[in-house]
Amino acid sequence: MNLGESIRVAWDSIRANMLRSILTTLGIMIGITAVIAVVAVGQGGQQSIMKEMEKFGSNLFQITVDWRRDELPTGREFTMNDIEIIKANVPELEYLLPCAQTYSTIKGRDKSKTAQILGTEADYARLHPLEITAGRFLTNSDCQGRRRVAVIDEEMAQELFPRASALGKRIVIGNQPLVICGLVKAESSPFSMGIKYVYIPTQVWLDIYPDGNISYIEGGTHSPEEVKVAMQNSIKILERRHHSKDIYQGFDLEQQVQAVNKVTGVMTLVIAIIAGFSLLVGGIGVMNIMLVSVTERTREIGLRMALGARRRDILIQFLIEAIVLCLLGGVIGMTLGIGGAFLISALAKWPPLISWTTVLLAFAFSAAIGIIFGILPANQAANLDPIEALRRD
Amino acid sequence: MIKMEQINKVYRPHSNPVHALRDVSLHIEMGDFVAVMGPSGSGKSTLMNVMGCLDTPSSGSYWLGGVEVSSMNSDQLATVRNRKIGFVFQNYNLLPRMTALRNVELPMLYAGVDKEERKTRALDCIGRVGMLDRIDHRPSELSGGQCQRIAIARALVNNPDIILADEPTGNLDSVTSMEIMNIFRSLHQEHTTIVLVTHEEDIAAFARRVLHFRDGKLINDELPSSPHIKPSAVKGGEDI
Ligand SMILES: Nc1ncnc2c1ncn2[C@@H]1O[C@H](COP(=O)(O)OP(=O)(O)OP(=O)(O)O)[C@@H](O)[C@H]1O
Ligand SMILES: [Mg+2]
Repeated sequence: MNLGESIRVAWDSIRANMLRSILTTLGIMIGITAVIAVVAVGQGGQQSIMKEMEKFGSNLFQITVDWRRDELPTGREFTMNDIEIIKANVPELEYLLPCAQTYSTIKGRDKSKTAQILGTEADYARLHPLEITAGRFLTNSDCQGRRRVAVIDEEMAQELFPRASALGKRIVIGNQPLVICGLVKAESSPFSMGIKYVYIPTQVWLDIYPDGNISYIEGGTHSPEEVKVAMQNSIKILERRHHSKDIYQGFDLEQQVQAVNKVTGVMTLVIAIIAGFSLLVGGIGVMNIMLVSVTERTREIGLRMALGARRRDILIQFLIEAIVLCLLGGVIGMTLGIGGAFLISALAKWPPLISWTTVLLAFAFSAAIGIIFGILPANQAANLDPIEALRRD
Repeated sequence: MIKMEQINKVYRPHSNPVHALRDVSLHIEMGDFVAVMGPSGSGKSTLMNVMGCLDTPSSGSYWLGGVEVSSMNSDQLATVRNRKIGFVFQNYNLLPRMTALRNVELPMLYAGVDKEERKTRALDCIGRVGMLDRIDHRPSELSGGQCQRIAIARALVNNPDIILADEPTGNLDSVTSMEIMNIFRSLHQEHTTIVLVTHEEDIAAFARRVLHFRDGKLINDELPSSPHIKPSAVKGGEDI
């Protein structure tokens, strides 16, 4: 008997007991739904994180204070002198930026807003793909000359100065007046959480917040291969200068990717275990109902044998029926899973990622369950004695 | 066509053996129409099962179309059943979920006949039993006699060497029985070999030859008591 005909027979028999078939595949359905939904949401999330990190660039690194230490940071871990020394001693570096940040109020003429005030240097714009929509970013002469200038988020500028362009207008941070010299478009990403940025020269930041300190440093090398060396050497210099060990922590893209993968890896494992159990239970359900089907259709099996079906024809017929049953559950599960993924993503605000591999894998998995749990009932059917089977009623 | 020598069939040979067939030897020629009669439990169905290669004899030799089948494995027997034998059962044994047409096509699926030819041949056989107006009916929508006609069409569809019918009219009233027997008679006239089990004399009367069984033994091989066919055409009984 050919495959098409076997599938038709299988489908006829499944359709004849539609409710029973659907209930049987419930386990598989739930398992596949869970896998598809969670994987799609997870991969979508991972992709969003990765995109975020790729913006960071592969030739970049950050050095921060290790927060996992027992001691609290003193706030004196980075100085402006450190920056100069490192720059002079690490030839791989193209840029090295001292960054200081704090969340604070900025006042316009009659309105005020809160934003992340980031003290940085002109090169920041070369390390981060900022979109300047009006004016200019901070320049080296701004930074060296401690000019009271600020580059602010376009949207925030609009809110602070609704009537005219914010360019050239005065804002007040702390109690220092600054002139807006440029507007940037906010980087839209699900992880920026709507935080708006104001960029000012680091030295100006330190003037505004005399008790404040450089929060982290950001470096960029000529090529991605040099990142590791530059980062390690920079940390060594810092440790030597501050007579300390294990205070500083370096991050580059690779490490961040690894950190994310570690999280998603654990998540995947947990899902795999849950799905595995669900599919196991589903598989046993299918086996059970196939055994019932074989018993119910003993006469049919006997008849088919009398008409010339070989044992392997019967075996294949029932195996295909089990596979079709599982695929039915699989397809329903997939549909529900994809729907669920879109629903969760709509709430979590990042796009789901439904890859072909996931769908194919789910498909293959359903079929595999059909084969594994169908083999016993199919074998039982194939080993019936035709005369005995024909006599059964 | 069929040659059996010293066929024995013993059920449960170790504990409380039942001798369903004892030293049965017989010969059925191509184109013959043979009725098998005997009291209940005399081994008629057992004989049909052995003849139909559904069962293997405990001892003896069985040639079907010149081939010794008693030593074949189950796959080979399945192929023999598929190509050389057409079964007609007392309870029709049609598959309930399939239309008449698909039921008739069933043996051809196992013969690997392609779709077009399956349909042509099925329609031809359904035409021979006069059921062309019912091809898309399911068995539950057909009367007993109509079911049996479809079952006969199914038995014919692979052009078997022999039709084996075990009490084909056992579930039918006498009028319908006669209609079915008329189909068998016309098949016989088209030179189909038929072996048919029955309890009734008037059914056996359609055959050219009657085999009587008792306690698993072939006790008498004779002409039917009230022949429906001319005695000149009768040519049986000389084999044993
Ligand atoms: N599978 C079996 N196991 C044991 N004994 C069996 C088996 N099948 C048949 N028999 C016995 O073999 C003998 C012949 O049975 P068979 O079915 O051939 O009779 P029959 O002539 O067809 O009877 P009926 O006219 O009632 O159909 C009976 O005594 C029966 O009990
Ligand atoms: Mg019988």
